[in-house]
Amino acid sequence: MDKQIGAGAGAADGAGPNRKPRAQGTGSSSNGDGLDSPTGSHVEWCKQLIAATLSSQMTHSAPADPNRENRTGRRPDWLVSKRLPYRNLPALRYGAQLKMSQNEVPLLPGENVHITVKDVMYICPFSGLVNGTLTITDYKLYFIGVEQESPFILDVNLGAISRLETISVPNQGENTKGLELVCKDMRSPRFAYKTEENHPDVVKVLSQHTYPLTHSMPLFAFLYKEQFPVDGWKVYDATAEYKRQGLPNESWTISKINSSYELCDTYPSVLVIPTNISDEDIRRVAVFRAKHRIPVLSWIHPETQATIVRCSQPLVGPSDRRCKEDERFLQIIMDANAQSHKLTVFDARQSSVADTNKAKDGGYESESFYTNVDLNFLEIPNIHVMRESLRKVKDVVYPTIDEAHWHSAIDQTHWLEYIKLLLAGAVKVADKLESGKTSVVVHCSDGWDRTSQLTSLAMLMLDSHYRTIQGFQVLVEKEWISFGHKFSSRVGHGEDNHSSSERSPLFVQFMDCVWQMTRQFPAAFEFNELFLITVLDHLYSCLFGTFLYNSEQERTAQEVQTKTISLWSYINSQPEDFTNPFFVDYEHHVLYPLVSSRHLELWTAYYARWNPRMRPQVPVHQTLKELLFVRAELQRRLEELQKEAAAHSLSSSSEHSPSHTGTPLHSAV
Amino acid sequence: MEHIRTPKVEQVRLMDRFSNKSTNGTLYLTATHLIFVESSINSSTAAQEIWILHHHIASVEKLSLTTTGCPLVLQCRNFRVVRFVLPKERDCHDIYSSLLRLLRPVSYEELYAFSYNPQQNDQQREEGWQLIDLRAEYERMGVPCDQWQLTDVNRDFKVCETYPRDLYVPITASKPIIVGSSKFRSKGRFPVLTYFYQERKAAVCRCSQPLSGFSARCLEDESMLQAISKANHNSRFVYVMDTRPKLNALANRAAGKGYENEDNYSNIRFQFVGIENIHVMRSSLQKLLEVIGTRSPTMSDYLVGLESCGWLRHIKAVLDAAVFLAQAVTLEGASVLVHCSDGWDRTAQVCALGSLLMDPYYRTIKGFMVLIEKDWISFGHKFADRCDQLDGDPKEVSPIFTQFLECVWQLSEQFPQAFEFSEWFLLQIHEHVHSCQYGNFLGNNERQREELQLKERTHSLWASLLGEKHNYLNPFYNPAYNVEHPVLEPSTLPYHFKFWRNMYHQFDRSMHPRQSILKTILTLKDKSAKAESTLQALENRLCQLGVTPVVTSDPAAPPPSRDQRSNPKALPPRPNSLILGAPVNHKEEQRRVEEQDDEVGEEALENTDTERTVEGSSGTESRKQSYDELEGTYNELAKEEPAVVSLEFGVARMTC
Repeated sequence: MDKQIGAGAGAADGAGPNRKPRAQGTGSSSNGDGLDSPTGSHVEWCKQLIAATLSSQMTHSAPADPNRENRTGRRPDWLVSKRLPYRNLPALRYGAQLKMSQNEVPLLPGENVHITVKDVMYICPFSGLVNGTLTITDYKLYFIGVEQESPFILDVNLGAISRLETISVPNQGENTKGLELVCKDMRSPRFAYKTEENHPDVVKVLSQHTYPLTHSMPLFAFLYKEQFPVDGWKVYDATAEYKRQGLPNESWTISKINSSYELCDTYPSVLVIPTNISDEDIRRVAVFRAKHRIPVLSWIHPETQATIVRCSQPLVGPSDRRCKEDERFLQIIMDANAQSHKLTVFDARQSSVADTNKAKDGGYESESFYTNVDLNFLEIPNIHVMRESLRKVKDVVYPTIDEAHWHSAIDQTHWLEYIKLLLAGAVKVADKLESGKTSVVVHCSDGWDRTSQLTSLAMLMLDSHYRTIQGFQVLVEKEWISFGHKFSSRVGHGEDNHSSSERSPLFVQFMDCVWQMTRQFPAAFEFNELFLITVLDHLYSCLFGTFLYNSEQERTAQEVQTKTISLWSYINSQPEDFTNPFFVDYEHHVLYPLVSSRHLELWTAYYARWNPRMRPQVPVHQTLKELLFVRAELQRRLEELQKEAAAHSLSSSSEHSPSHTGTPLHSAV
Repeated sequence: MEHIRTPKVEQVRLMDRFSNKSTNGTLYLTATHLIFVESSINSSTAAQEIWILHHHIASVEKLSLTTTGCPLVLQCRNFRVVRFVLPKERDCHDIYSSLLRLLRPVSYEELYAFSYNPQQNDQQREEGWQLIDLRAEYERMGVPCDQWQLTDVNRDFKVCETYPRDLYVPITASKPIIVGSSKFRSKGRFPVLTYFYQERKAAVCRCSQPLSGFSARCLEDESMLQAISKANHNSRFVYVMDTRPKLNALANRAAGKGYENEDNYSNIRFQFVGIENIHVMRSSLQKLLEVIGTRSPTMSDYLVGLESCGWLRHIKAVLDAAVFLAQAVTLEGASVLVHCSDGWDRTAQVCALGSLLMDPYYRTIKGFMVLIEKDWISFGHKFADRCDQLDGDPKEVSPIFTQFLECVWQLSEQFPQAFEFSEWFLLQIHEHVHSCQYGNFLGNNERQREELQLKERTHSLWASLLGEKHNYLNPFYNPAYNVEHPVLEPSTLPYHFKFWRNMYHQFDRSMHPRQSILKTILTLKDKSAKAESTLQALENRLCQLGVTPVVTSDPAAPPPSRDQRSNPKALPPRPNSLILGAPVNHKEEQRRVEEQDDEVGEEALENTDTERTVEGSSGTESRKQSYDELEGTYNELAKEEPAVVSLEFGVARMTC
């Protein structure tokens, strides 16, 4: 088993698609053990998991590690190097499967090699120097060690690179230059290479393809030519999603007022707004809300009709401006829910910051002007604080971990504290709807960062549909992508402005919260950890069009849907890899995660995955998959026998009906 | 009984530890237990009962009278903390003073083990004690052999009174050498064999510190180590692991004790490992309990508290030492001699864990019992003193064995397939180390146990645990895994060390997760077993009808019996474990008899109606409280759930 598990480790580092689509092309049945057997799919699954969680930093070529002589101490290097052989050997076998000679770089359809440099040293933080060949394509940086036996492979998507830094490399000769790739996905590989007169500069080529937009070139998503059997762009249809929620109804209507993005250029074209309000009034409300982001419906409770409404801050300003239409708008939202005579406004910001905003022409709803409105501040810090916090997390987990001060180091990042704040805020929103039967309005400053986090998390707690694979995709498409979370600015796709204050890992933070929930309710989510990690990997990769650009309007203008492929095409073509085997559809269950500090932990499988001593927890799932397989087999035979028995026995007595053995726990085995 | 003045108090409130909730009920004080019976609100739900064994109570505290009554707080050794509020101060005082006397037994005869009777006859009891045979265990390892022999030098506990009678030493170690060496070691605990790694003929030996002071030498002790070294042809030297921090060892040297000088002993490699002493461990656990007892800690309180109490760091230190030991033996084939000061605390931890890493046998249920019997009980870990069985010196109390169990748990988290037993097994052992209900852990050493005639007068825990083995099976256990990985190589990165919630919050309902993977797997296994037997029955029936069914690869299942299927008692019993969810009450069992067919583990599917169900903290409650306290609320609106957790019944059944 171990050999099989290792198969993917070397070949498909980092992002799955490098490899998986090819397997699709050649037909998965050619894999020997097909995907329908539990072992077969498990192998795939393990491969994926390890590809995602283990770095190929684990090098086999660790030359007689120096710490070895230090017999007395603990010997992590020994642990690493010993495990390597069987992890890396099958990589060759896999390479053979792809019909590639060893030194060739596996390419995606549409990918081209731009430069190949020999005699490059990879400075591995875990096992020293590795000599090899560096290839740069328009999608990735691919490093392969020279060692024949089990070559070391490092594969970094160019999209994941945040900035390139020159570093000094002592003791490597005159013409040697050092390069550090500071990545968005919590690692910073370093290289040393020789410069020669007549060769093009690696850094120049690299920076050109890392920052295509800066160099007026297209993002790789527009060059990618893979064919998937499923079209992920069809996953989200706003009207269909609202219809699922039971909309339109007598109080809410699906409006076309923003169909050409005239009302608000960062909102989607399809909006749900109250029925009895005139377009004229809406325009007035739009003027009163920051960036024209008016209150619109995100989710409606199937029984109480209480709603989650999102918007941006009102432009109250220091002089306490009022807008009658805006006040009436909120009144109508309250009236649409007959169960409650209150409306709760959750302002995600810290109250002090909201006051500062008020002095700068922003502000918040005054309870004295808006009758029956409760205003709550959730005290969540802004994007800059979050960026700084995650940067500290990276310092804690990469490249080395300070063993003695692990917990206090985590504490000093404040990352878990913010996760706790976010989850607690989302629980408040969800609880107000579920138990308080009261509609809520959520906003922050512009209503595209913290607001998206809160509404989507609350919806995940309230609506079991969003806990399925497809449902989660809809949730992300809806609350994040269509409502204009500025992915392009927050992630910085293909741009060189790494120090921009617009950058912030808000979506990562959201996914972390989702992961925390999956830990507490291991059977309530259809997707597994690999799914979450894969989505995060492609948040940066620029391989798919899903997370590109800042708003629906920009995406339409760039024809993203016709010119690029959706991430969901890739995922939905092989859902078995991303399915949680423990999933039981907890339909109509509201899940409140515990936000106590005892229940939150750092997502090391994501943040610390580049550490070679990271150990993926595979076997538990394996056991379950085997059991499910055994049961399916038993069930099949039972049915056969029952049919036979019925055919032969006239009095097919009731004692033989095994009616209770056959309830499927979940369907996708 | 003469200490009990008030046997029954009504209208007592039991306060939840982490929320403002409470339950009303009646408190009973018996000679062995303190029992709280919840007054049932409606007859359909079984009344909750909490049984607390007097031996489990570590401390009892009477707080000052409040408007609602007089609070009584009990801290238990199994980490249960209960807070009762009694309506009358007088009753409270009576219970308090009775408990004070009852929880401090002065002689062994007062311990529960001597009155506990599980309705076994003498033969059954003897068989229970014969389950574990350490001679057989040494034979399993391949000892005696051409290099190691059984010595009778300690037959009468003359050489070392804290060692067992049977000891294994190198054949070249003559009696004078042994006696000489024992005189040079603290408490006479000379080097003896504890584990033999047959594959490479390497031995793990244990002893206490040498009385070397600054310059003392002992030729017999030197030849003893020489003999151990010579018994292993694979390696030219012996590792000597001093499990103490160097500073402590140096301090001991000033007191005429100390550590081996590499110049005096030929062919040794000396190594400090740096595990702290029992006092540090005791206060570390105390700090940990304070941190986790905080009602709503901030993230910072919790993380910083967890780190500064040092508990997980100590766990890591112990495991690091065990990993070192296992690697030296399995990879280098070198023999290792382990000691600390007296060789009964840290030495026991490191030897036992090292063996566990090297030998898959110790990862089975039976093997784990053997391991505890060998490295802890027979070699004289002072259970009576460390677990405070009698009213003794509080400075001798220390959670050394708890730490060992936690190390095993941390390993089982890293290697879910490698252990035959589940977490629940470890928790049960921990429970009974303190319960004094069985004879196994009473006393400090083998000699004392013989004097107490424990085998004649008490029962063995191992028999009772083996009797309900099915409750302790780890569903992920895969013997093939141990064949492929005979030696475990755990990672000791700090994030692999988790806080063991099910140990330290075992009795705090609100601290347990709502959904359990373990339960899912167990249910599934159950169902497969049922399907298999139905399958067999159908096949039989077809045979009776004269049809030969097409037999495809047949799952190995026992021949079916119809009585078995219709009898609910033959169903794989649901373990009454906290990890596995809802308590199995008498009434519930009754109900199961009636509606046997749709019981087991279908809860999750029952909820497919359109009713909305709230999981996690209930919303209605939470609005009354601040949201930070959400974490402490336990929701009773939620339907019976795969893993809503309670252990009360489990304890009750175990201890009475």
